[in-house]
Amino acid sequence: MKGDISLSCHDLERYLGEEEERVHALRGVSLDIEAGSLHAVVGPSGCGKSTLLYILGLLDMADAGSVEIGSTLITGLSDEELARRRNQLIGFIFQFHFLMEDFTAHENVMIPMRRLGQLSEEEMGERAAHLLESVGLGDKLRRQSRHLSGGEQQRVAIARALANDPQVILADEPTGNLDTNNSQRAFELLAHIVRDREKALLLVTHNRFIADACDWVHEMKDGRIVARHPHGQRISV
Amino acid sequence: MNAPFYIALRFATHRKRALLLSLMGVVFGVGIFICTQAQTQGFAQFFIDSTIGSNGALTLRSRFQPRHEGLVIPSKNVNALPERRNFFEGVHNVSEIMRVSRQFSNVVACSPVLRGNVSARSGFEMTTVELFGIDPPSHLQATDLAKQIIDGKFDDFTNNTSSVILGYRLADQLEVGCGDSIQLLSPSGEYWRFVVAAIARSGVGTIDATRVYAQTRVAQRLLKKPYEASMIIYKLRDPQRAPALATHFENLFQHTSQSWQEREESTLQLFIMLRLSAAITVSLMILLAGFGIFNVLTMSVLSKIREIAILRSMGYRQVDISAIFLWQGALIATVGSLIGCILGASLTWIVSKVPIEIRGLLYTNHFLVVWDWRHYFWATVLAGVAVFIASYVPAQRAAHLQPVDTLRGSSL
Repeated sequence: MKGDISLSCHDLERYLGEEEERVHALRGVSLDIEAGSLHAVVGPSGCGKSTLLYILGLLDMADAGSVEIGSTLITGLSDEELARRRNQLIGFIFQFHFLMEDFTAHENVMIPMRRLGQLSEEEMGERAAHLLESVGLGDKLRRQSRHLSGGEQQRVAIARALANDPQVILADEPTGNLDTNNSQRAFELLAHIVRDREKALLLVTHNRFIADACDWVHEMKDGRIVARHPHGQRISV
Repeated sequence: MNAPFYIALRFATHRKRALLLSLMGVVFGVGIFICTQAQTQGFAQFFIDSTIGSNGALTLRSRFQPRHEGLVIPSKNVNALPERRNFFEGVHNVSEIMRVSRQFSNVVACSPVLRGNVSARSGFEMTTVELFGIDPPSHLQATDLAKQIIDGKFDDFTNNTSSVILGYRLADQLEVGCGDSIQLLSPSGEYWRFVVAAIARSGVGTIDATRVYAQTRVAQRLLKKPYEASMIIYKLRDPQRAPALATHFENLFQHTSQSWQEREESTLQLFIMLRLSAAITVSLMILLAGFGIFNVLTMSVLSKIREIAILRSMGYRQVDISAIFLWQGALIATVGSLIGCILGASLTWIVSKVPIEIRGLLYTNHFLVVWDWRHYFWATVLAGVAVFIASYVPAQRAAHLQPVDTLRGSSL
């Protein structure tokens, strides 16, 4: 329901590397993201944005602190359980779209559904087609992803992130590889879907216009969130 | 469709050339394994069938004196030689032994044979032969002699006590044919004249080069033996069980008993060595195919690192990632084995039609093959094991890749 906390983390600590190369990547990061809201994380390269994203996406484990999705505490779970929750609750979008090149757009969107295994082949096909139509690619279902333009590929990635109707969407520079027009279109699409379907979106970006358009902007520096701005307040990216 | 299987299918079909190379390794390995096993076992089986068809699956020979253990405790030296037996030439109580033998379910038929070595002469040719004095009706039941006749008639032999059947190589050596006469030299130095009633070919070189069949009574008089049989030969329902029956008969009848496996041990070992040698050579081919698959799958893992990271981010477990690559191996093994079996069967058929003239240990005009489902089974098992081992390491490597490392490397 709108306003409920979909994703939260408290006092996350993360060290990367070993011995002399050891880096304190996250230093007590806490966040609350509500359903239907867009949150942007901004900051210089190497400040810990992606590390935070991967920990929240259950791809990496924090050395200290906790992550909650919905009201469930995600701590000390097995690889299998983490994978199951990632599949059901989280949708990822990456800068380089990361589609399966040899798969069609339609097949790419079906990949998370296949893992979930709750729908028949026909139902999966219908749902994938519907999602692709909703991102404006209804006429390119059977096209191999490598034959789509950059903007189209990112829209396929958005549709794929929504495949299992996740509570949370995590996006790592989703428009970083697109030109201005396509960036704007992809973000508007994402924002529309998040608000319309009451998802929680956390995106990492260097794009100040996109960050400005989010409900909240979290500024990170040296592994800490140093400032939080609500929508409309100018930030320095 | 199972998700890892679906993705494996797509990954495998994407790299068609690599898939084809991997498949070819398995196909040829399996096919050649089947073909070589069919050939080597074909020759071995032909030899076994021929020797059993001529000399029986089991033979009972000289009587021996039973050993009785005294009251003195025997030495515990395990290497000590067994006590010597006293043997008495010939089979005693032939009809009684045969009557009792027939009660055994594994015994199909038995036939007494009086055996001895004599010299045979025809014209200027002379050679030493092995005379088999047989009772024609019972010998026909216990051996394949009737089927082995290539010239003349068995009935002519049965109806004429002064006739013999010759092995075909012996007939060639003595330069005689059906209706010709030969002379056999008795131990007392007399030449006995016989008419050649038929010529037989057993397929075993040593038998065909030395064997002469005569009727028992005539042979007994010629050899001047006091007994009517020097051995009894048995036809068995299951020749593989001959060793157990031989041991039992030896204890029961107090006569030396020998199974065909023991009798032909040296030749059989030669065939086993040939089969093993062929199997090892071809297994190495399958192993090489396994190395090929290992390389192909390792390259596949390296080229799919990004895809693996994406799949992990979408909730695929380590076991799913591992299964994707194991399924690829399984696909190669299954399709490769299937086509390999078809290739093996085709090669076996073609080889069986290849003309080849063998006139030594065996007599054959073409390659001998055996159609045995076990060759296909073991070739498939071998390919399955090799491919599984070849797939396992890349699959584990893929499963343990850290998605964050890949994603971070791509996004920074």
